[in-house]
Amino acid sequence: MREFFEKLGKIDRRIIYLIVAIGVITPILFKARLPIKPLPEVRQAFDYIESLPESSAVLISIDYDASSMPELQPMLYALLRHVFRKNLRVIMLGHWPLGVPLGQIALEDVAKEMGKKYGVDYCFLGYRPGIAAVMLNLGKEIRSVFASDYKYTPLDSLPMMRNIHNYNDIALLIGLEAGSVGDFWVQFAQARFNQKIILGSTAVITPDIYPYLQAGQIVGLIGGLRGAADYETLVNTPGPASIGMYSQTVVHILVVALIILGNVGYFVLRRRK
Amino acid sequence: MKREIPLAITFISGFLLIVALFIPHKPFGTLQETFNDWYIIVSGFTMILGIDSLLLHNWNKVKRRKSDWPYALALIMSFFLTFLWGLYSIVYEPTHNPFAPTASFLKYFYKSIFVPLQATMFALLAFFIASAAYRAFRAREINSTLLLFSAALVMLGRVPEGEQAAPYVFGIISLLFAVYFFIEASLLTAGFLKYLYIALGVLLLAAIYPVGKLLLAYLPKIADWIMNIPQLAAKRGILIGVALGGIAMSLRIIVGIERTYLK
Amino acid sequence: MTSVFWTWVAAFFTLSILSFLYKDNPFYKFAEHIYVGSSAAFYVLQLWVFDVYPKLVGGFQYKVGIEKWILIIPAFLSVLMLTRFIKPISWLSRWAIAFTVGMAAGLGVTGLLQGFLVPQVKATFLPFYVPGTSFWNSFYLSVNNILIVLGTVATIFYFYFSREHKGALGTISRAGITFIMIAFGASFGYTVMARVSLLIGRMYFLIHDWLHLA
Repeated sequence: MREFFEKLGKIDRRIIYLIVAIGVITPILFKARLPIKPLPEVRQAFDYIESLPESSAVLISIDYDASSMPELQPMLYALLRHVFRKNLRVIMLGHWPLGVPLGQIALEDVAKEMGKKYGVDYCFLGYRPGIAAVMLNLGKEIRSVFASDYKYTPLDSLPMMRNIHNYNDIALLIGLEAGSVGDFWVQFAQARFNQKIILGSTAVITPDIYPYLQAGQIVGLIGGLRGAADYETLVNTPGPASIGMYSQTVVHILVVALIILGNVGYFVLRRRK
Repeated sequence: MKREIPLAITFISGFLLIVALFIPHKPFGTLQETFNDWYIIVSGFTMILGIDSLLLHNWNKVKRRKSDWPYALALIMSFFLTFLWGLYSIVYEPTHNPFAPTASFLKYFYKSIFVPLQATMFALLAFFIASAAYRAFRAREINSTLLLFSAALVMLGRVPEGEQAAPYVFGIISLLFAVYFFIEASLLTAGFLKYLYIALGVLLLAAIYPVGKLLLAYLPKIADWIMNIPQLAAKRGILIGVALGGIAMSLRIIVGIERTYLK
Repeated sequence: MTSVFWTWVAAFFTLSILSFLYKDNPFYKFAEHIYVGSSAAFYVLQLWVFDVYPKLVGGFQYKVGIEKWILIIPAFLSVLMLTRFIKPISWLSRWAIAFTVGMAAGLGVTGLLQGFLVPQVKATFLPFYVPGTSFWNSFYLSVNNILIVLGTVATIFYFYFSREHKGALGTISRAGITFIMIAFGASFGYTVMARVSLLIGRMYFLIHDWLHLA
């Protein structure tokens, strides 16, 4: 018995890796699906967007890069489909230099798919350094930060931007967050200018965002791949997040099982000492 | 002079922003905007500060033929090739922006080289965390047991159909610990402790069915509750403390007590 | 055809990084060094495309009067920042760094005070009795409110009173550690979720985009 558990304790980490890999790959290969029931905080975000009047402006901020792309990119696609379906206008910018293009790739993809026109239905401003300073100055005049879009076209030459000057003209801000930029959005856009905010976040930082939700500082929270799958379900466009949920469930059960197994070994060996 | 001027600059810029929070009118409001605008321009340059030492360090490796020098060379070459490709997009392509969707830099280099590298680098962590969970996550005492249970409830409660698996997981844990208690009891001489262990074992076995039923029905709600009540309370407490610390640190910097950044 | 080629390139780099799981090897090291080198170049390009060109070059081109000439100040500070690369006058870069540090500190104080501390403390003043649809509903909501208040206060006590945790302070600290452990457990659970999601994303790429198996 003791020997068995000692051996089990020294099991090659690569065997664990292999088990995890199989747990992830098998459901994807077999296209296995699980029914998804959206969380209340995701539904709250969805309902808020539903309630916006047609052609309101929505500012989307890309505050992540490829290191959290699998979680936030499907979320962005689902959100864009929803926003465009509601005929809202999208202004996109970002605070993570390495990830900003990811936002633009998704924006162009979905705009093409839904027949939206650049400059009329959506535009892409790009990136400026200085996070909080950018947010504060956007509250006065967007043109003071972004005189032009990413193609260096002056903002006034874009029809949709003509009457948009600051947060007063923006109905909703959606921040997709992998770090602390979301905190800045809340601190500077919400607290100072009363901007309505929905945050979509990686699972790592999601627990830290719940205090904002309870305090009413944000009007919705979409957390992690689960949140993305919830949103895909709400918008009725199942994509990579919904497909990934089966693997997610399998590996979570696997990790819990590994923790139990590790602890059983620990108790048995401790007992015999 | 080498010290006084920077300290004065820090004080003026930091102090102005605090004044502008309370008196957002002229001249402070407009001054704040101007300072913000300068900050947007200048802070971009901090991004490239370490690059010279990165390149120099690797160039020295190549020059001295240190072990692994071919990788250092690959690093330097990838720096210059990336840079040149971007430059090509800036100068010769119609949008003059390598990050435009039509630019070759974005279409090929970014999508097919940069993104897979960065994304996969972080995907490795899934394997490491699974292995760590097996090796290091031990219920040593009451606090770590609490942590473990909360983690398990959230992990299973936050995935679709996790509640289907949870009763089995709980059943197995209870069974294992019941067996553990019975073995402990069998090794003890008759006494209070022996009967306590037996009672605990029986209790665990008896709990399997009702608790399993409960988990099946309520697990997602339990996970919701953990996230929205106790988790939120502790996070708020921690973050309030972090905020107080951050404010104190910032004030020390503004008034010039904290000056490590001048080293 | 080109897209097939570039998908293979992406798959090659994905597999090179994953090969680290077996053991450290030249493919992994090669890919890792390329990543570091190219991200450094990336920052330089971004600096030009999204900062210097639109803000400085564009500013000098399109702005007029005082607004134009005042840009000399940030331009000067930016140049000072670059003196860091030139040893004998590198001390000059401190002026620029002092400016960014001062601004960051000022933004930090104001943001945390107005945007975090005040609203979060306010949101903790919750009623201990909440009328509900039924007795149990009301009981549940009330207990939740009490727990939020208690948990927040106890956590602050646990962390921020460095005196020995004895007596009443000891009791409330112990309550604090209970809440903290539940929170850390939840964070661990969510971290597992995040890491697994990243792996799912890469595997989906390999299976779906590269091998077309699903």
